[in-house]
Amino acid sequence: GHLQTHSLTYEGCNFFRQRLVLATLSGKRVKIRNIRSRDDNPGLRDFEASFIRLLDKVTNGTRIEINQTGTVLFYQPGLLYGGAVEHECCAQRSIGYYLEALIMLAPFMKNSLRAILKGVTNDPVDPSVDLIKATAVPLMKTFGIDGEGLEIKVVRRGMAPGGGGEVHFSCPVRRTIKPVQLTDPGKIKRIRGTAYSVRVSPQMANRIVDSARSILNQFIPDIYIYTDHMKGASSGKSPGFGLTLVAETVNGTFLSAELASTPQGQGDPVLPEELGKSCAKLLLEEVYRGGSVDSTNQSLALLFMTLGQQDVSKTLLGPLSPYTIEFLRHIRDFFQIMFKIEPQKPEDEQKGGEKVLMTCVGVGFANINKTLK
Amino acid sequence: MEGREQKRHQQKQSGPKAQRKKRRKQGEQGTELEKDERKRNPRAFGVHSAVRMTRTFHRTQDIKTKKHHIPLVDRTPLEPPPIVVVVTGPPKVGKSTLIRCLIKNYTRQKLSDICGPVTIVSGKKRRLTFIECNNDINTMIDLAKVADLVLMLIDASFGFEMETFEFLNICQVHGFPRVMGVLTHLDSFKNNKSLNKTKKRLKHRFWTEVYQGAKLFYLSGMVYGEYQTQEVKNLGRFISVMKFRPLMWQTSHPYIVADRMEDLTDPEAIRLDPKCDRTVSLYGYLRGTFLKNKGQIHIPGVGDFSVEDLSFLPDPCPLPELLKKRALNEKERLLYAPMAGVGGLVYDKDAVYIDMPGGHVKQQQEEMRPTTEMVQSLMGTHTTLDAKMAASKVSLFTGTAALASEEVQENSGEQGPVESRVWDPETRRERRKAVFMEEDEEDGSEGSDEELSDEEGEEVEEESEEGQEVEEDEEGDDESIRDKEEVRKEECRAAKEEAPPLSPLVEGGGARRAVTERPAFADSDDELEKSEREEGNGDEEEEMEEGEAEEKHEKGATVPPDSGHCSEEDTDDDSDEEEEEEEEEENEGDSEMDEQVNSEPPGKETAKTKTTCAAKEEEMDGAGEGEPGTDTPGALRWKESLAQKATEAHLKRQRAAPNLRKLVYGTVVVEEEEEEVVDEEDEELGGLFRVSRPEKSKKVRADATDCSRFQPDTSHDWDQEEMLASIRDCFVTGKWEGDKDATTLLKEDDELYGDFEDLETGEVHRAKPRQGDEAEDDDDDDDGGSGDDAENEEEEAPLVKFDDEEAQKNKRLEKKRRLKERFDAEYDDGDATYFDDLKEEMQKQAELNRTEFEGMDDESRVQYEGFRPGMYVRLEIPGLPCEFVTNFDPHYPIILGGLGASEGNIGYLQMRLKKHRWYNRILKTRDPLILSLGWRRFQTIPLYHIEDHNGRHRLLKYTPEHMHCGASIWGPITPQGTGFLAVQSVAGTQAKFRIAATGVVLDLDKSMTVVKKLKLIGYPYKIFKNTCFIQGMFNTVLEVAKFEGASIRTVSGIKGQIKKALRTPPGAFRATFEDRLLMSDIVFLRSWYPVLVPQLYNPVTSLLMPAGQKDMWTGMRTLGQIKHDLGIQNKPNQDSLYKPVLRQKRHFNPLHIPKELQKALPFKSKPKLRAAKGPAPRDLRRPAVVREPHERKVAALLSALSTIYAHKNKKAQAEQHAKHRDFLKQREKQEAEKQKRQREERKKVYRAMGQKEQKKLKSSLKGTSKDD
Repeated sequence: GHLQTHSLTYEGCNFFRQRLVLATLSGKRVKIRNIRSRDDNPGLRDFEASFIRLLDKVTNGTRIEINQTGTVLFYQPGLLYGGAVEHECCAQRSIGYYLEALIMLAPFMKNSLRAILKGVTNDPVDPSVDLIKATAVPLMKTFGIDGEGLEIKVVRRGMAPGGGGEVHFSCPVRRTIKPVQLTDPGKIKRIRGTAYSVRVSPQMANRIVDSARSILNQFIPDIYIYTDHMKGASSGKSPGFGLTLVAETVNGTFLSAELASTPQGQGDPVLPEELGKSCAKLLLEEVYRGGSVDSTNQSLALLFMTLGQQDVSKTLLGPLSPYTIEFLRHIRDFFQIMFKIEPQKPEDEQKGGEKVLMTCVGVGFANINKTLK
Repeated sequence: MEGREQKRHQQKQSGPKAQRKKRRKQGEQGTELEKDERKRNPRAFGVHSAVRMTRTFHRTQDIKTKKHHIPLVDRTPLEPPPIVVVVTGPPKVGKSTLIRCLIKNYTRQKLSDICGPVTIVSGKKRRLTFIECNNDINTMIDLAKVADLVLMLIDASFGFEMETFEFLNICQVHGFPRVMGVLTHLDSFKNNKSLNKTKKRLKHRFWTEVYQGAKLFYLSGMVYGEYQTQEVKNLGRFISVMKFRPLMWQTSHPYIVADRMEDLTDPEAIRLDPKCDRTVSLYGYLRGTFLKNKGQIHIPGVGDFSVEDLSFLPDPCPLPELLKKRALNEKERLLYAPMAGVGGLVYDKDAVYIDMPGGHVKQQQEEMRPTTEMVQSLMGTHTTLDAKMAASKVSLFTGTAALASEEVQENSGEQGPVESRVWDPETRRERRKAVFMEEDEEDGSEGSDEELSDEEGEEVEEESEEGQEVEEDEEGDDESIRDKEEVRKEECRAAKEEAPPLSPLVEGGGARRAVTERPAFADSDDELEKSEREEGNGDEEEEMEEGEAEEKHEKGATVPPDSGHCSEEDTDDDSDEEEEEEEEEENEGDSEMDEQVNSEPPGKETAKTKTTCAAKEEEMDGAGEGEPGTDTPGALRWKESLAQKATEAHLKRQRAAPNLRKLVYGTVVVEEEEEEVVDEEDEELGGLFRVSRPEKSKKVRADATDCSRFQPDTSHDWDQEEMLASIRDCFVTGKWEGDKDATTLLKEDDELYGDFEDLETGEVHRAKPRQGDEAEDDDDDDDGGSGDDAENEEEEAPLVKFDDEEAQKNKRLEKKRRLKERFDAEYDDGDATYFDDLKEEMQKQAELNRTEFEGMDDESRVQYEGFRPGMYVRLEIPGLPCEFVTNFDPHYPIILGGLGASEGNIGYLQMRLKKHRWYNRILKTRDPLILSLGWRRFQTIPLYHIEDHNGRHRLLKYTPEHMHCGASIWGPITPQGTGFLAVQSVAGTQAKFRIAATGVVLDLDKSMTVVKKLKLIGYPYKIFKNTCFIQGMFNTVLEVAKFEGASIRTVSGIKGQIKKALRTPPGAFRATFEDRLLMSDIVFLRSWYPVLVPQLYNPVTSLLMPAGQKDMWTGMRTLGQIKHDLGIQNKPNQDSLYKPVLRQKRHFNPLHIPKELQKALPFKSKPKLRAAKGPAPRDLRRPAVVREPHERKVAALLSALSTIYAHKNKKAQAEQHAKHRDFLKQREKQEAEKQKRQREERKKVYRAMGQKEQKKLKSSLKGTSKDD
């Protein structure tokens, strides 16, 4: 009768994914109240419902209760099951929204995950699939989640608002996560990128590339931006274009930036040149922030540090994003882990902004879902 | 030997022998001889067989790798917790005596009653906690899980008892701790021979159970009721040098063996409801791994609880500080056993307890620290609720009822060690002797029988004597208890009359209180503390804050910041910074100002705080967009004091650490205070784990978009040259750090190789003089450096001159080191294997783990790491059942086992299980079973199953007798690979061997897939050729539709398939078979039906049982037990009963063919209706032939002739046969010879060919070797 006596309670729909993901990993129950309770359209949105459905697909025995208006959610996690999963993601948010959470869960499943996600691959709001592919995958490799299985493949590209893209994500299962010491990001040795365009002139991509290069060439000559023009069935339902840039350092850190064109019929259209330039500037901003993990993947790195063995892990990050800060608080709630946060001023003037050294002792998490044979 | 001097060996100095020796010696030195040997006898060293060579190589490699263990990170704490020594054995074997002797040996103190764990300092680096394990299987299971060392006492005069084996089996399942056997009662042997024989026999049996060569100690006779000092000393020495291997479960879970318990419940609440749930604080050394606050724990025998509060206390039994001296002095030989009433001064979170000297601890009290007196004098005035509870505790401990349980005799069976129940007159109890079949044969029954008969005679007398003694003892004890109680009552009364309860006068206590009140995150900066105090209750000021914020910030801008660095406002500001950054995106109007900010990075932060006030106000209004105009004047004013800002920057950076931490985590103390306030104000904001501090400003954000993107800082304009310059060095094209720069590395190389001359070109390279390098370095600095660097340089310049030589020396050393490193890298890495790398990595990690938080004070260290093992901690646990306190018995250990991430949940577990080979019954599916798994003991209902070849889990009714099977239960989630054991009941000791089964957890799931076979039966009602209509199997068309295509079978073995449902009758279907059915055939469909695992999880709450009945816990009864108890007999199914078989005689009717049909039939098939033939008529009968005599002669001759002819023919044929056989033999022989010949010829040819080939090969090899 003493088991599971209490659950964690939160308010509001923000940081929705964090809470559910951490709840699933820690096995704690979560109650989220007042979800858009003051809004004209209260309750959970379609994309959140879709996210819950995805969680239900990859787990076994999950209990979800939502009240009539959708303003209160109760979530009792089941065991992560994995296997082949196909999910139609809601077009309100891009696949990146779902993929970010799925990446956090994937290494701890019972069977290795093979997910097919359909929906919007690139939109201006969420980190795109290309970005996650370019940054999160190498990050996972540093934590010992590697091997043949780890792969993100963009089969079809679908821009907002229509969607119609398809992404294949597969991830092997691990029992434990390695502790890491990512204290030296190293210097950037090359910049790579993808300029994509669908249902517009293929010339758009080239225009983006030229404009982006014009800025980045000041720093480093080793730049290569692929142009990716998709046609026909693999081009989704809406027109659009965009650019993803990734800077790789000598120590294997990947910093990234991206920009996508505004969705059709939602605001002013952007010129490809402008987009290329501002994306290049975003990359410079990211470089200025620096750290061993780029700003979108901070929380992923912190999660894997938390779930590591009972050893000290260290990571140098750029300034913490609000999302990361909330993630840290959630980690404390769910795993009782606090990070030692030490701001570090780069000794050199020309090495970007202030950094933060994050240190923690892992909880000694072991994948209890994996079957013993 | 010593007296007689032996003749020394005389070395030959000359002669042929000496010469030969000399020659050999020379040869060895030169290694010429060795080479010669290789040349002289190459075949001895050559490769004879590649296969053999690979095999030997594999073998050596195998042997090498077998020695490796998987390297693990060494996580043992610097100051490890005391080692848990569990003393176990059947009753009356001498456990308490041994503990008493060991304690006396280590601490020179006497402890009369071993009550609860006793911790002592045994050496400079080691502490021990002794726990006595009683005969209850619950205790045995619990203690086996926490033991580091088990002292297994065996009564040598009696032999092994079942308890010993049970304990060993429990240990085996839960990770084997160190086990040391101790043989006692050796003085009861009369002659030496039988003693030695017994020792040997017991030793070998012990070895088979533990491991070959396990240590077995012998304690011969007693002296004045104690073991011999020398033997105890030896044992103690063994214990203090013993090494332990880490056990999986123990190293991955935090746990505490509680050595002290206080009830903190409000006495008023108890008065109102004596059965109310209690809040209890438990104390003990933390072991295993880090324990986090607010974690979940399991108390075996009670249940799962969450820790309300966790704090560490000063070590009550600390290790000596100085390690240099050889032995401990008297003061350092500490003893701590609060449950036994020893320990003297006991610290708590906010008070100090003193145990008033009782009768038996007088000696101990006298040598307490000198502070005791002072504290004692103060004690009267100081009492808290805790103190009252502490006082009441004593009566609890002493009230231990004697464990007198009558044991029911039961007949023993066979198998395994046969248990023979022996009535022991001395102890007046029945002993469960474990007798092995071989032993019986060896021993015979001489000795034991004699002893028995002797003892029987004395039995009666002894009994009566002992009874009296016990009574006397009890009286004595009672008196002492009464004394103590009185003392305590007086104390309490005094305390009530005086001192207000919440103002402790004890200095130490007061200080501690202050410490706890201070924010837990503070890095023990005095400044910080002060600021917190200055702030006082921040609530009021907070309200003001919003109004005054702007003013304050202006002040902050002009005046250098004072001690109030970490005030709450700051945290507010910082948290707002982030939002502010987002907002600034919108404030594009004042880009000018932003640029200025960027140009001066050190001052940036302060500038931000400036803008924050405005931003915050905007937020409070709920509008995200603000007017930029309000910011400008503040910013301008800030610009005036630029110089000051620069100096402040340094300070700011220093205090940034706690700020950032506060920004993220808030402060614990403030948080708690506020939570209450908020709760009053607004119910919606309540909650257990909420960070209310940052939440406040975030109220608006609660419903914002959930997105991980970090919006860029709009203050950065990447068109600006300065901005671009600020990240110039992040690229490989930028400047490198000194130690990694290519030019410096090149220079180093130059230094390494120094001057050299290129012989081909005649060029001479010279190493550059060292001074030049430095100059260049400085130049580099100047290029990129600012004014600061220039100053530094000036300061450093004279220093360099002074320490020139020193520096040179250092440089040389450095160079040497680098050289060596490079050499190592080049030559050692070739040998380094994967294993070595792994090991090194682990070592590095261990080093890092140790050093990372080393310098930190415990208060803040605990926040990051959790409470580390070795700490003495106090846990506050609310909601414990009242029986835990009221039925408390210190003889039963209280273990607090920490639970992992999701180990608090319940789900389905799939395990591999094997019935224990010594358990004499097989287990039945759905019979409740008590499992010990992880920390827990619980009753559950397992389903046994076995995996079929296709992966299906088929339900079994009973466990197989000698085989593993699967078991599925509903129980607590426990990591895979955890071992468990099962017992049928924990009550009493009636059962033979109590451990019913053992196994391991394989898989966890929320749903189970155990199936059982279900046969659906149907009957044909219409039969065509191979098609058949079948009914009775299903009830509706829908059911049939589900099974379309399923294969069916008749009892006679004809296979078929369900084709389609028929409309009428419902449930009937058409099926086809491989042969024609009969109407009498029964058709069945084999299907699998999923079985649900019953959801019973019933923790064994043995600790809640009343004292003296703690080993009487019974849970759910098995069906058999219930039937037995209620006297219910099963009524067998009537159909299953055997009855005499009655076979009726079958009667066949004659075949009847209708007339019409007869007509139509062809003649052949027509029934032939003619009457049977009678005797032939006379006219048809043939006449007999009568031969003439001549005719007769001729016939006789003819027959004789034909006979002769036939005989001749036969003979000839036989001859022919024999001839042919001979011929065949001959031919075979020839053939064989031919074969042989051919084979030899072939062999010859091949040999020649081979030789040729070899020659060719040799010649080619020679050729290459010559080339080389």
